[in-house]
Amino acid sequence: MWSGVSRAFLGYMGTGLIGTCYLCALVYLWLTEKRKSVRILFLYMPLSLLALFFNPLFARLVYYTAEDEIYWRVLWLLPMTVTIAYSCVCIYGELNRNRGRRFAEAAGLCMGAVIAVSGSFIYASPSFSRAENIYHVPDAVVEICDAINVPGREVMAVFPLELTQHVRQYSPVTCMPYGREMTMGKWFFLHPLKDEMEREVIDMEALVPLVREYRCHYVIFRPGQKVMGDPEDYGWIRFKEAEGYTIYRDPHEELMIPDME
Amino acid sequence: MAVQVLILILLMLALPAVAGGLCAGAYHEGKSLIFRWVSGQFLLWAGFQVISVPMILRQQSLTRLVWVFAGYAAVLALGGAALEIWRRKKEDPRAFRPERRQGKHRKHRENALLWAVFGALLAFQLAQAVLLVFDDADDAYYVSVASLAESSDAMFQRSPYAEGGMEMDYRHALAPFSIWIAFLARLSGVRTVVVAQVVLPVVLISMAYGIYYLFSRVLFPEQGGQRALFMLFTEILVLFGNYSVYTSETFLIGRSRQGKATLGSIVVPFILFLLLTLFRKLQEKEKIPAPLYVLLGAAGLTGCLCSTLGVLLASMAIGGGGLFAAVCYKRIKVLLPMLVCCVPCGGCALLYLLLK
Repeated sequence: MWSGVSRAFLGYMGTGLIGTCYLCALVYLWLTEKRKSVRILFLYMPLSLLALFFNPLFARLVYYTAEDEIYWRVLWLLPMTVTIAYSCVCIYGELNRNRGRRFAEAAGLCMGAVIAVSGSFIYASPSFSRAENIYHVPDAVVEICDAINVPGREVMAVFPLELTQHVRQYSPVTCMPYGREMTMGKWFFLHPLKDEMEREVIDMEALVPLVREYRCHYVIFRPGQKVMGDPEDYGWIRFKEAEGYTIYRDPHEELMIPDME
Repeated sequence: MAVQVLILILLMLALPAVAGGLCAGAYHEGKSLIFRWVSGQFLLWAGFQVISVPMILRQQSLTRLVWVFAGYAAVLALGGAALEIWRRKKEDPRAFRPERRQGKHRKHRENALLWAVFGALLAFQLAQAVLLVFDDADDAYYVSVASLAESSDAMFQRSPYAEGGMEMDYRHALAPFSIWIAFLARLSGVRTVVVAQVVLPVVLISMAYGIYYLFSRVLFPEQGGQRALFMLFTEILVLFGNYSVYTSETFLIGRSRQGKATLGSIVVPFILFLLLTLFRKLQEKEKIPAPLYVLLGAAGLTGCLCSTLGVLLASMAIGGGGLFAAVCYKRIKVLLPMLVCCVPCGGCALLYLLLK
């Protein structure tokens, strides 16, 4: 329990440098802040919260009612940003009064630089990439879903794993035999069709019956996918190429258009 | 497209700003547009939670929810507008004119520079929200739930990951922030994924800074320059707030379409701002206005709308704040209304434990 709590705290604080800035801000405010309202919000409440956070009884209660993996979210109640910013402005004001404007401005710049160096620039995160379109999903997903969608009904298509998380955000009428749950490390799912689709070399002999078992209308192969056997020998129709992905239609599964039935 | 954007602007900016007139008395500068916008949105969110959860549990359609909630929003807007007109008639109209601040022009120029830097950095962040994608696998759940609800008219009945129906996912159904996204998409006609991935980040990042601005007005009541400096420091802290993937700043910039991000970066700061206002009023021995308690209750309910953990965080903040207010200001009477503010959260928690 204790190791889980301390791991949550250390994980939240990252390198600990912004945490140190916060600690300095708390000490500064403890020594200088006169307003009781500010002291309660920025000092007494956060310190009580930290005491609670490290209390095993409280941790056990949260672990039981919610999840142990999200215990760190309790730390969102610490007003770190507001407290550090407020302390910086107070220090600036004090220096402005006692040492003059130029000195205060230089100190303000230094404080800003210390925060920037201690933290990590948010847009430098590898999770950010340039949007390919207004929908914020890969162009391939837009093009494939637009190509295979039929007005007035759902279609079943099997996608390469890297596209699955985007498909139903863009097109909720596109169904898949498996989806994002397969990419989650914490869940372990056995799915024969996924296993076959994610092989380095897909064996058509093994894939075709699985595709038909899951009643898929379309199969999408990623660019450069090696396939043992020719899909067209199994009656599949090469339907379209989209952003390098190849879409095959398996006519074995009927695809009636509601208006034309 | 222009009409759709106009509807979204009305839904996300004008409607909350008008509805917020109901709570203008909660705060000494309650007439400010930012306060009304934020507080109005919290009243709308709280109502959405109260209306949507029973309808989701009874498996009613999104269309029905849209009509019921639209009625609630219209009542709030009419009430807010009526109260505003009454207030303007009652008060001296000159009070609403901008103050003349003669002899402060030089100081204003300095402040203007700081505000210009702040504005430029904010514009940069809003542009990045449109131009950049934050790759997060949780979108496969939250955004897909919204897209599915909008297209199938059924809420939490279709699997967001793959295909077919699913058993009611109570944990998420009790915190239906995604359904609010579906509501916006349905009423505006803008595709759900665009509302979630582009429109919401722009609006919610602006709202988060709006709340920081409200903090600055309470912390620095008279010094405009210090407010600008405070906003600049908060901006630096947000921009360099990715010191771990768990911070509310990372969630605000990268994942604002997910309810939990709104909880950490908007709901919690707003509750803390309301507590600061409460403490200040107690300090000055002023009467606590009822709208302040209403807003605290609404913020608690909004926490429940955003995430099931919001129940705990909102109750801890409001309950803890009430306790400190009662002890530090020796005003035991404040405890009762603060506890009442936590009752809706308690109801959500009870429902979660019963259905879990």
